[in-house]
Amino acid sequence: MELDVNGARHEVTAEPRRALADVLRDDLGLTGTHLGCEHGVCGTCTVLLDGEPVRSCLVLAVQAVGHEVRTVEGLAEDDPLPGAFAEHHALQCGFCTPGFLMLLRGALDEDPTVVDDDGRLDALLASNLCRCTGYEGIRNAAKVAAPREH
Amino acid sequence: MRGDDRLTRGRGRYTADLHVDGCLEAAFVRSPVPHADLLGIDTTAARDMPGVAAVLTADDLTDVGDVPTMFGTDDSPPWRPLAADRVRHEGEAVAMVVADDRYRAEDAAAAVRLDLRRRPGHAAPGRAGRTDRLYPDHDDLALEKEFGPPVADATWTNAHIVIDSRYRQQLLAPTSLEARAILVEPGALLTVHCSHQYPHGLRTGIAGAFGLAEDDVRVIVPDAGGAFGSKSPTYPEYLAVVAAARRLQRPVRWIEDRTEALTSASRGRGQDQHVRLAADADGRILAIDLQVDADIGAHPLGAALPGQTALAASEAYAVGEVHATFRSWFTTTAPTYAYRGAGRPEAAYAVERAVDELAAALHLDPAELRRRNFVREFPYDTPTGRRYDSGDYAACLDRCLELLEPDRWRGARERPTGVGIACYVERSGGEPGILEEYGSVTVDPSGFTARVGTSSTGQPHHTVFAQLVADRLGVPADTVDLVEGDTGEVPEGHGTFASRSTQMGGAALAGAADALVDEARAQAADRWGLTADDVAWDKGVLRAGTRELPVAELAPLHAEHRFTSPPAFPYGSYGAVVEIDPELGAVHLLRLVAVDDYGTVLDHTATHGQTLGSIAQGLGQVLIEGVVLDDEGATVMPDGLLDYLLPTAAEMPRDLRVDETAVPAPDNPLGVKGAGEAGCIGVPPAVVNAVADAIRPLGGDPARLRMPLTPQVVWEALGGERSDGEGRG
Repeated sequence: MELDVNGARHEVTAEPRRALADVLRDDLGLTGTHLGCEHGVCGTCTVLLDGEPVRSCLVLAVQAVGHEVRTVEGLAEDDPLPGAFAEHHALQCGFCTPGFLMLLRGALDEDPTVVDDDGRLDALLASNLCRCTGYEGIRNAAKVAAPREH
Repeated sequence: MRGDDRLTRGRGRYTADLHVDGCLEAAFVRSPVPHADLLGIDTTAARDMPGVAAVLTADDLTDVGDVPTMFGTDDSPPWRPLAADRVRHEGEAVAMVVADDRYRAEDAAAAVRLDLRRRPGHAAPGRAGRTDRLYPDHDDLALEKEFGPPVADATWTNAHIVIDSRYRQQLLAPTSLEARAILVEPGALLTVHCSHQYPHGLRTGIAGAFGLAEDDVRVIVPDAGGAFGSKSPTYPEYLAVVAAARRLQRPVRWIEDRTEALTSASRGRGQDQHVRLAADADGRILAIDLQVDADIGAHPLGAALPGQTALAASEAYAVGEVHATFRSWFTTTAPTYAYRGAGRPEAAYAVERAVDELAAALHLDPAELRRRNFVREFPYDTPTGRRYDSGDYAACLDRCLELLEPDRWRGARERPTGVGIACYVERSGGEPGILEEYGSVTVDPSGFTARVGTSSTGQPHHTVFAQLVADRLGVPADTVDLVEGDTGEVPEGHGTFASRSTQMGGAALAGAADALVDEARAQAADRWGLTADDVAWDKGVLRAGTRELPVAELAPLHAEHRFTSPPAFPYGSYGAVVEIDPELGAVHLLRLVAVDDYGTVLDHTATHGQTLGSIAQGLGQVLIEGVVLDDEGATVMPDGLLDYLLPTAAEMPRDLRVDETAVPAPDNPLGVKGAGEAGCIGVPPAVVNAVADAIRPLGGDPARLRMPLTPQVVWEALGGERSDGEGRG
């Protein structure tokens, strides 16, 4: 199959049962996408599929054919989210971080006003699990990284 | 923090991210039942499946030593890497498939057939209902200990009031988002990459089990995705993976999946508690008696850990008679082991719930009752054998109350509202045997390298320790590199747990930096024909009169320090305001206050992060988390993390007030006390006390409150009728 990942095309030979996360990690060496539960709850493996956050443990690689996949390695150099996470101590062990970054990148691209309302922001962040930070830093980083004018 | 630039760009290197050519994947065949005789294992079909390199069972590992226990008993029954003859908990590993691919390994694991004859299982601690002991040669009571003299009968009979309460500490799944992970490369030097808190301990464990010299084993901890106490043992699976790599002479890795982590990995807490307080009419506590019956699981990995609870039975109070006992019972469940707090949250809960019941019974302000009983002079020797080093517990509580504003909430809201507080004293640094740590500082032409025996699993050691050494030397932090988590680079160490890293490792590094300065001054003096007293260290430059010498010109220069000290005793006061929905039993947290005393704080961002993370885990225990088992010990969590609920951002209170007091630790050269565990100790009793406060005026029964405080639990405590059975946690 041919996969479009982070703007580059990759020829991959993989069994139909292989999860997108495994193909990204094992076949393409994009190990920034982590696996935390492999049953679609923790969100650690979140990537963007045509701009929309998805659990890459629940998507088969073959289902991604014909769609644009974006992983943490594909975040723009000037994306404000990574720096905001570091600045606001939004990570400790860092294992969940790529998932949160991609969740927020997808959400902010869709509707940056999501950070303006605490309830909406928490409902969004509740998509993913972090066991280290207590989420305060992640909330703050999300607010800072949202576009100023929206 | 250092490393954040990598971790936020997908350039972390966790164990599962390491690429080693030809690496095979291990998958385990695990017992589907809590207790059974293992009559046979049929691996024939599995061996013939595509990609399978080996299928190993206990018979293949007879030359491998037993799994070491961490806090075991004097006569722990043998624990084999793969179960032989009998399985004693659900998820116990009985066979291992090694294949060229994880999918194929799991295919083959599913094709292994087990011949099992069920035996009765026992999930609860205690003697009741047991018909079948786990080990023929060992009683089910694995360990029993007593601390402090028994409370005199007269104290109970003469007391104005006796509070007699029973509590349950449910089993918790530590649930670091990276589960266990190990990659083993065989060879003359066996190289083990593992997400681990205690690399030197793992080296000892592996070397011991395989009859190797410690120098023949190198343990490297790459980026680690959390641990929370659960990643310090030498687990049976690790020995099996090492055995496979040595046998096949191929690299082998095992990346635990979440189902394994929830059913077969170690768990925390797991105690039935009985606490009695005797007090006079003024609320002065005369005696505390704490009895713990702990369900320690099928192997005594953490059999002695409930001793931490017993030792802590005095908590923050100067009480003349304190007696604590624990009994650790084998149960047909996965091993109960350390999870953040490891014994201290359990003690704080038992004592602080009971103290609150005492205040309610005497119609005394819970804060005033605590003030009347606080330890006020230090050092203070508790009847159970602790020596508290320092503190001002009343000041800490006062600050908590300022932030909590308890009076503001009374009658201010339509729904029932409650305010609760809890105070705790914990022990940081560890126990004799690990109350020492290694640090070194080396100078080479490129700068300073600090080495320390701790091992980060997410704590910002690279930032905090580099800064500490830099400050000590008066040099910029970016000239100091930190190396830890590699037994090939750091000769000795005790790892990261018990909130010990900065207290012990930081102090070791400070000592090493000081020794380096002394050594540099001595060498410069030799060069110049002076005495060391004539030579000054000035920000990495040695000076005497007009002479100066950058320390790099003395390179290589190396100094070590082994730091030892008694433990420290951090403490804190927590407060919670809750609102109850009486129709549904739902608990809403309106405000949460945490005031902790970690002694001198080196990096407030780092300690704040630790506090918040631990608070979240405390909220998990009190509100939503709990391993659900049936009576025989089988997990009832078919949907994984949809059944075992972790706190999300939506569970974190918006009104969260965190502050510190800072009484320096007298036994630590940096004044530092441990800061890793506070929140999960203080939060649960504060929140339950708040809920108790809310339901008392409604005629509710606080004795029926248990963790987690699900709506059903609270509704029942308000008098609702229980309608269905729920498993025990």
